[in-house]
Amino acid sequence: MKAIFIVYNHAHTEKVQYLLDKLEIRGFTMWTNVYGRGSVTGDPHMNTHTWPEQNGAVLTIVEDHTVDRVLHYVKIMDEENQEVGIRAFVWEITGGY
Amino acid sequence: MSIYKQSVQRPITTLMLFIGLVVLGIYSLTRLPIDFYPELEFPAISVYTVYSGAGAEDIETNVTRVIEDNLNTVSNLKEITSVSRDNISIVSCEFEWGTNMDEAANEIRDALSLAEQVLPDEVEDPAIFKFSSSLMPILVFAVTADESYAALEKILEEKIINPLNRIEGIGAIGTFGAPAREVQVTINPRKMEAYHLTIEQVAAVLNAENLNMPAGHIEMGKLDYPLRVEGEFTESDQVKEIVLANINGKPVYLKDIATVQDTLRDMTIDERINGKKGVRLIIQKQSGANTVKIAREVNKQLPGLARTLPPDIRIEPIFDTSDFITGSINNLSQTLLFALLFVVLVVLFFLGRWRATFIVVITIPISLIVAFIYLYLTGNTINIISLSSLSIAIGMVVDDAIVVLENITKHIERGSRPREAAIYATNEVWLAVIVTTLTVVAVFLPLTLVSGMTGELFKQLGWVVSITVVTSTTVAITLTPMLSSKLLRLRPKKNTTRKLSYDNTVLRVLDWLDGFYEKSLQYALRHKALVLIASLAIFGGTLALIPLMGTEFLPEADQGQLSATVELQTGVRVDETIRIARQIDNYIEQNISEYTLMSTSSGSDDRGGIFSVFMQSGSNIINYNMRLKNIGERDRSVWEIAEDLRSYLKTIPEIVTYTVIPNGGMGGTTDNNVVVEIMGYDLDATSALADTLARRFTGIQGARNIEVSRDPSKPQLRIIPDREKMARYGLTTYNVANQLRNRVEGPYMTKYREEGDEYDIVVRFDEEHRNSISDLESMIITSSRGNTIRLEEVADITETWSPPNIEHKRKQRIITVNITPYKVPLNVLTKNIQAQIDRVEVPSDVQITVGGAVEDMQESMIDLAMLLVLGMVLVYLVMASQFESLRMPFIIMFSIPFAFSGVLLALFITNTTLNLISMVGGVMLVGIVVKNAIVLVDYINLMRDRGNELTEAIAISGRSRLRPVLMTSLTTILGMLPLALSTGEGSEIWSPMGISVIGGLLFSTMVTLILVPVVYHLFIKRIEQKRSRKLIYSFMEETTSENA
Repeated sequence: MKAIFIVYNHAHTEKVQYLLDKLEIRGFTMWTNVYGRGSVTGDPHMNTHTWPEQNGAVLTIVEDHTVDRVLHYVKIMDEENQEVGIRAFVWEITGGY
Repeated sequence: MSIYKQSVQRPITTLMLFIGLVVLGIYSLTRLPIDFYPELEFPAISVYTVYSGAGAEDIETNVTRVIEDNLNTVSNLKEITSVSRDNISIVSCEFEWGTNMDEAANEIRDALSLAEQVLPDEVEDPAIFKFSSSLMPILVFAVTADESYAALEKILEEKIINPLNRIEGIGAIGTFGAPAREVQVTINPRKMEAYHLTIEQVAAVLNAENLNMPAGHIEMGKLDYPLRVEGEFTESDQVKEIVLANINGKPVYLKDIATVQDTLRDMTIDERINGKKGVRLIIQKQSGANTVKIAREVNKQLPGLARTLPPDIRIEPIFDTSDFITGSINNLSQTLLFALLFVVLVVLFFLGRWRATFIVVITIPISLIVAFIYLYLTGNTINIISLSSLSIAIGMVVDDAIVVLENITKHIERGSRPREAAIYATNEVWLAVIVTTLTVVAVFLPLTLVSGMTGELFKQLGWVVSITVVTSTTVAITLTPMLSSKLLRLRPKKNTTRKLSYDNTVLRVLDWLDGFYEKSLQYALRHKALVLIASLAIFGGTLALIPLMGTEFLPEADQGQLSATVELQTGVRVDETIRIARQIDNYIEQNISEYTLMSTSSGSDDRGGIFSVFMQSGSNIINYNMRLKNIGERDRSVWEIAEDLRSYLKTIPEIVTYTVIPNGGMGGTTDNNVVVEIMGYDLDATSALADTLARRFTGIQGARNIEVSRDPSKPQLRIIPDREKMARYGLTTYNVANQLRNRVEGPYMTKYREEGDEYDIVVRFDEEHRNSISDLESMIITSSRGNTIRLEEVADITETWSPPNIEHKRKQRIITVNITPYKVPLNVLTKNIQAQIDRVEVPSDVQITVGGAVEDMQESMIDLAMLLVLGMVLVYLVMASQFESLRMPFIIMFSIPFAFSGVLLALFITNTTLNLISMVGGVMLVGIVVKNAIVLVDYINLMRDRGNELTEAIAISGRSRLRPVLMTSLTTILGMLPLALSTGEGSEIWSPMGISVIGGLLFSTMVTLILVPVVYHLFIKRIEQKRSRKLIYSFMEETTSENA
């Protein structure tokens, strides 16, 4: 079991939703209207007049074999237009209820 | 849940809401009446008081002054003026605009009831007359006839007036100059005296004979019979068979001493239409009724009704207000369509995509249609003000939609789904869109608060523009995102573009323009001093144009109407007046080919009733009303034709004065004239001064229609009774006056009735026995003791001169000289007039002031200046709160002075005068031009916040914002272009507004693009320097304290 944290420009909201559905990922936690800034190139998404955009974030715990597919599609989505921005991060789940 | 998210997620609801709005708007549009101006109820009430037999001076002291004193306390009164003429006193009260006239009328009634106690007993009760624009005739027809002329009045009454009266909204229909039937009993006084009869006895007999009277009732058997004595004349022939008396057993018949004629009354008026004898038919509407609808209905019914008339009667329209109104409205509607077309083209040019263009342009009809709902709900009309307001708004309503659409497109091109892009992109800009709209509203809404006539005119402008731009913003954040989510698609990048495709042509031009602008901007930033000096020079230079420009109050429109009043020597007989009238008719027929209809009336119709109030009349006065061909079909303007007529009238020696009023006559427009007011008690001195001034003014270039308000003194026969002699015969002045009146005018008589109509029976001396002073002197008066005395025995008859009218303003005697400008600006004329006045010696107790349109203009100027200040303050408030800065709005407002420069320049180039309309255009610009600067400055701020260095931020912003700025400016400019260029009927009134807005916006846009970034740079640089200096100081302090 691994946790994937996908954080994306809110313009990607529907695509992310679609991705989760297509990969039959049932469980997830989603935050809307969250703020953030990319480490290298990404513009800040701060919901201010200067940086008007916002992010959405999804945390989902999936079986190990799903992880690669998720990352694959996230990469495709990002490459389609780098300016919009989407990232995914994975870490190990050691236990749970 | 935000409004734009809702509307994107529920597209059907959004669509239905807007369809509902459009349906309501179209419904309102079909129900809206059409008129020329918004309903302007001039806040004035006049009080008419008749005091028969009193001269102007008696009226002044006994009636006018008393009424004036009592009315002076009425609340909201602005000014009180009066005219005292022979027999009548007219006191006019002008109120502040917006006064409740019903309340004012009630207060006046109360005040009059107090005044009545002080008025002489013989004075009739004062009548209150509320002036309203609905009293102005909306249609005037000329009716000409040959054989049927004698019966014209009755025929018209039955066949035309009664059926037309059934049309909804018609107030009154009257005839003017119609021949009236009457039974004339012309007494030969010599024969009458031979039978020892008096005219009073004759009258008494006729009154006693022409009688139907109930005489109780009797019961016979089972029935009850009412008794009725029937002696009323059934035929006019019976009148002459009346027995007046029995002398020596022989009856004296009326025919023995008089001739009886059933004929037409003496005409003191001669009505001609295109040279033929005729009658004028005047139609008024009810207050608030739809002029155009009534006119259409009348014109529809009239041909049918005319067919029932005898074939020699012809009806032709002289004057149809609806012609001009529909002409203007059609013209404006066309203007509106052209504006729409231009705006569509501009949007298409910049966006290059049909779907995007459609989404933006759809805001136009929706916003405009909502304005119709407003007009309908508030009981307004479609008029030139409301339509030109729409024309002004048309270029502005697309701005918000453009901003929103641009951002959505940007997101889509970055790969978002249209639905999400619509929501998030709108979220990013909706606040900015609302703020720019607020700046526009901040300027237009105060227009609704202005008082005075200006306010009444521009109330609609303010509301209509405010409502349409607010609607357009609402559309931009609801319908625009919704439509974008449905219609916009990500365009695949085309690799092979055709040579003439949009990308290859327009886009290249625009790209080049962006680059060019960026380079110029960088140059300007390097040469800031040069830019500032050049700007100052331009501003100063345009200000220097002001003294060179003409001013007027309201521009006048060529309405294709001409009216003229020609005055001969007072006291001249009607026949002589008619002869001159024919002479002028001939000239007009030969030299002024532009007329399509001419109506002449000479003399006065004492039965003209209320219509007489609107025109000067008298036996020595000729009134002309001409209708000209449509503007397109003639070369000369109405002003030039008027000038031609004036130059002819000048050559006729019999004419004492004349005035030719272009566009004047019935339903005339605003008076654009100069009035010189001479205040002073001494009638002779002021009259002489007025005449001297009038003579001097004739030398001034462009001064026309110079008119002195006090008519020249007219001859009067004064009969001064000798009380001692009268007492000897047991006579009183009242007796003598009454008997004299009976002999000259005829005693009050019974009426002859036929088929339900009544005709006067007039008993008077035949004319040859009452047309000289000696005839008067030899008239026989009977005393109460039965003695007969000739008038000369008890009274002296002398010929004197008396002023026919005395005017007051603010209870002071006044005489005015009116001057109409011809091809000369009002301010120049006023200056010349003032120069002439300065050269004349004025008695110490006489004051001269120059007023008229100049006065109105000054009042309006002050209003406008207040408006300008208010608008600027509000715009500042809005911007300061948007930028959360006190400095930014200041930088942005640097574009405003150059808007005014542009206005002046545009007016100067097009040779348009500085008038109320063009100045309102200038005020409006405050809200429009700051929009550009806001867009630019906002983006520079953004770029700086995102970490760009100042100069770089300015360059980037310039490059990025050039297109939106050009696009919104061009839509507004081109939207108004048809307004500025139109030449049709009534265009003179609104084109100055278009010209000034276009000039101002064009110029200020160019300046904004260069100057505002430069000023921004200067301001911010200084602040940054201060800040860095502070930083260094605080750093140094820290280090020194640490060292210590």
